[in-house]
Amino acid sequence: MILRRALPILLAAGAVLIGVGPLASPSFAQDQGTSTVPGTKQVIGLAGMKHNATGTLTIANGNLEFTKGKKKADVPATSITEVLTGADTQRTIGGTIGTLTMFAPYGSGRFLSLFRTKIDTFSITYVDTAGGVHGAVFSMPEGTATPAKIALLAQGAKTSVPVEPGPTPPPSAPKPQGRKP
Amino acid sequence: MNLKKTSYFSSLAFVGVVLVFAASSGSAQQTMQPKIKASSIQILMVGSNEVTLPLPFQLSLYENMIEQVEKTKKFEHVYRDGDHAAMDAPDLVILHSNVYGFKQGSEEKRQVLTVAGATQIKVHCQFTDKSGKSELEQDVTGNVRFLGGNLRATLDFGKKVAQVVVQNF
Repeated sequence: MILRRALPILLAAGAVLIGVGPLASPSFAQDQGTSTVPGTKQVIGLAGMKHNATGTLTIANGNLEFTKGKKKADVPATSITEVLTGADTQRTIGGTIGTLTMFAPYGSGRFLSLFRTKIDTFSITYVDTAGGVHGAVFSMPEGTATPAKIALLAQGAKTSVPVEPGPTPPPSAPKPQGRKP
Repeated sequence: MNLKKTSYFSSLAFVGVVLVFAASSGSAQQTMQPKIKASSIQILMVGSNEVTLPLPFQLSLYENMIEQVEKTKKFEHVYRDGDHAAMDAPDLVILHSNVYGFKQGSEEKRQVLTVAGATQIKVHCQFTDKSGKSELEQDVTGNVRFLGGNLRATLDFGKKVAQVVVQNF
């Protein structure tokens, strides 16, 4: 009996959860000062990582960490002297398969290259213990670079281009303090 | 008929001798050029006083240059910009590079049109000693014309700098 009463409520709750699910970004998690971005490509610059390695970028505990399988590269946030974000596009079908499509008949490969995905670029410069300057470039899913930059700045990184705050409501007209005559 | 054949072969032989002589004199000129002696190199961050260069390109130029120069194995140490140990290194050469031309192409245009959308980066490279005396100056251009993203031009540039190092050190 109780189960019968509870069933519609449970179904309604399930429907609400399913409806809300897509609204949340599935590939990005952000808390105060921390950020995790799976599907990040390390284009160049991290020691011990191959060019164009795809892995997870984590900003937490005062570190920027890039993980690909068992390989890890850490950069202390306080050693980061510049963080810049940008926007770019890449082929939806990339890699070796993307290159092979160039040889597809009737120019279909060229047609496929018109399908492009928007991406964010994330560039940092940092200093090692000997004082040597390093640069690293990442590309990541669209909309994830700015939150990652905010998290990195909160962990102690520096930048010459601060993140602009979101639009603020216009200030309301000040109310008269005194009584009307 | 015989005379014609003889003159034909003699002219061919003359051309051959000229070509061999030209080739040998060219290679002699190349070998005559003294190589610069240096056991260490410090590569400074790429500058761009004359053009606006996006940061990913600047960093990628710098990192590719370091990686490709290290691959040549011409130096015992390849120091980065700012490395404190560089100033104590004997026979140090310092590589300064400044971008004076930059044309950002489009990967999409390259793949669709083939003939358009090339990316080109022109860099002036100068090798100096510790005191700042110039040892070698050369312009190097990095291109990407067909396959690959725009940043591939920076890899092309790095490889060409490595060639300059191999030829002169």
